[in-house]
Amino acid sequence: MKRSVIQTLILTDLRRHRLPILACIASGIFALGLIRIGGELPVILGTIWFFTGLIVLGCLLPGTNVINERKKQTLPFLMSLPVSITQFTTAKIVSTVGMFIVPWLTLVIAAVLFILGHPRLPDGMIPVVLAIATLTLVGFCLIAGVALVSEAEGPMAAAMVVANSSYGLGWYLLVRMPGVRAGLASPEIIWGKEILTVLGFEFAVIVLILGLTIYLQSRKRDFV
Amino acid sequence: MTNFAIKLDGVGKKYRYFTLDNIQLELSPGQIMGLIGPNGAGKSTTIRILMGLIHQDHGDVRVLGHRMPAEQVAAKWDIGFASEDMRLYDAMTLDWHMRFIRSIYPQWDQTYAQLLLKRFGLRAEQKIKGFSHGQRVKATLLLVLARRPRLLVLDEPTTGLDPVARHEILRELTAVMNDEGRSILFSSHNTQDVEQISDQITFIDRGRIIDSLDKEAYLNRWRRLRLEAPLGIELPALPGIINIRQSGRLAIATANEFVPGIAAAYENSGARIQMIENMTLEEIFVAKVELSRDEHEEVGA
Amino acid sequence: MDSGILISQSDKRPIYLQIIEQIKRRIAVGDWSEGQSIPSIRQLAVDIQVSVITVKRAYLELEREGVIVTQQGRGSHVASTPGLGIRLHQEELQQHLKEAIRLSALLGIEPKELESRLREASDDIAAKERS
Repeated sequence: MKRSVIQTLILTDLRRHRLPILACIASGIFALGLIRIGGELPVILGTIWFFTGLIVLGCLLPGTNVINERKKQTLPFLMSLPVSITQFTTAKIVSTVGMFIVPWLTLVIAAVLFILGHPRLPDGMIPVVLAIATLTLVGFCLIAGVALVSEAEGPMAAAMVVANSSYGLGWYLLVRMPGVRAGLASPEIIWGKEILTVLGFEFAVIVLILGLTIYLQSRKRDFV
Repeated sequence: MTNFAIKLDGVGKKYRYFTLDNIQLELSPGQIMGLIGPNGAGKSTTIRILMGLIHQDHGDVRVLGHRMPAEQVAAKWDIGFASEDMRLYDAMTLDWHMRFIRSIYPQWDQTYAQLLLKRFGLRAEQKIKGFSHGQRVKATLLLVLARRPRLLVLDEPTTGLDPVARHEILRELTAVMNDEGRSILFSSHNTQDVEQISDQITFIDRGRIIDSLDKEAYLNRWRRLRLEAPLGIELPALPGIINIRQSGRLAIATANEFVPGIAAAYENSGARIQMIENMTLEEIFVAKVELSRDEHEEVGA
Repeated sequence: MDSGILISQSDKRPIYLQIIEQIKRRIAVGDWSEGQSIPSIRQLAVDIQVSVITVKRAYLELEREGVIVTQQGRGSHVASTPGLGIRLHQEELQQHLKEAIRLSALLGIEPKELESRLREASDDIAAKERS
């Protein structure tokens, strides 16, 4: 019985956000199309657009799915249901991150297939693209976690700034790693130790952020 | 363990500018309790504590036998909660909300829900953002009533409603009493509603419970005596009288522990009793709050 | 069963007294006959949207006066005493007479004057009915 309430909450959140999710996927595919066309401007625009779609969704979702429950005062309605704070938070994390992962995964797979199929892009790019894409996932989890715990737009905005700055910084640091740089231009995918460590570290950070969020939420004594 | 629907024992909660102190409250099954108090008295805080939404600093909270907030999930299966600051999803329809609640609670009574739609004059296919304030309140109550929960906890269910809507809601709330096993706790600063449908009344002011008892017994204790006292007569101070206001030859005495002996005592002192009136809950409430605040200030707590 | 009872908010008297009065009236006019079952406490409470405890108080008082009988598990009914309706009408008359006497005392009117006033009022009414 417990699980079905959480399930219902998750599915309800997903259904309410159908349109933004589809819009993000559509714009990402369109961006890839631009890159395929080729030429300097379309490629640059397409690349920026590809990541922008994900970043915009990443900023939008915690706002509409998390902060709004407090702002629009639907929180008492939800907490009147047979759920505890921990169950509610878990449902929110799953639905918020889940909503992001669907377009994220779609676009990552599309990007990978795109690179594999593209005559002039070296397949060696793939691990780096994956690392940067995973960084956006880390950033999103940070924003979502901060939104859930702080329930305020200020801290959430601060988290967005931190997350968004990390993408450029991450790319900068990543391509400076010798092992990574070597594999970049290679026509084969090289899973070097460094890139694997980076990916592992990113996933560990995700688990840490989400775990910390659930923990901090469970400690709240005045929830509504 | 006794089978109270709600039992708060020595519950306390401290905030920066407000303290809820030593809250003692018991609601027996099959009864309606009205919680009255001025704004900021602590009604909403008390209600949220018993819903497990706020964790008390100390004291024991049991609702339908479950300890709160630890067992709030189990408790909330049988509790219907609606509060004045609660909102539904603007962009969704009432029907969406009905299906949402129905998918969670197996006890949803669709026939009754349809009847309520008609009685409340609501259109299920309409989006919540198109509802007026009164319609929104009724929609929220419909979602709670159609589940037929064993306990209804309502924070200001009739506030801001027009008389027709109020009447519709009071009708459904009293209909709950058809089932002896179901109980209602509602807070209101509409003393008329509380006076009409409550079995038990609890007064709260500035974080403290001033009184909690049987409504009829309570109403029966209070009287207003209109006296005519010729000039020069000293009206005796009597136990059970909390206040005398004299103006010229007329005096009004307020009794909170009325016995016929009081009337006799006044007449013996030379005053004549023009009328002995019952007091409405509102009048009692104001008198009680003023008295309690005076007492409290004297003690200097 | 429709009790036909209506609680008036403008009536300053306590609700339980209004209930008592209206039940007595129903019996007095013959709507509810001796021995007839009446709404249970809960049923009436729901019907007129009043707390159970208030209806209970009214019923207890009515039972004490021998007007109704409440049996555990079987609901309530009008007492089976013959002539109950008439008795209630008589009691109502007594109440009014007592009230008249009390008011006259306040105004300083002697019983003899009260008597002649009563005759006057009675003649007035008879005259109006004829015209």
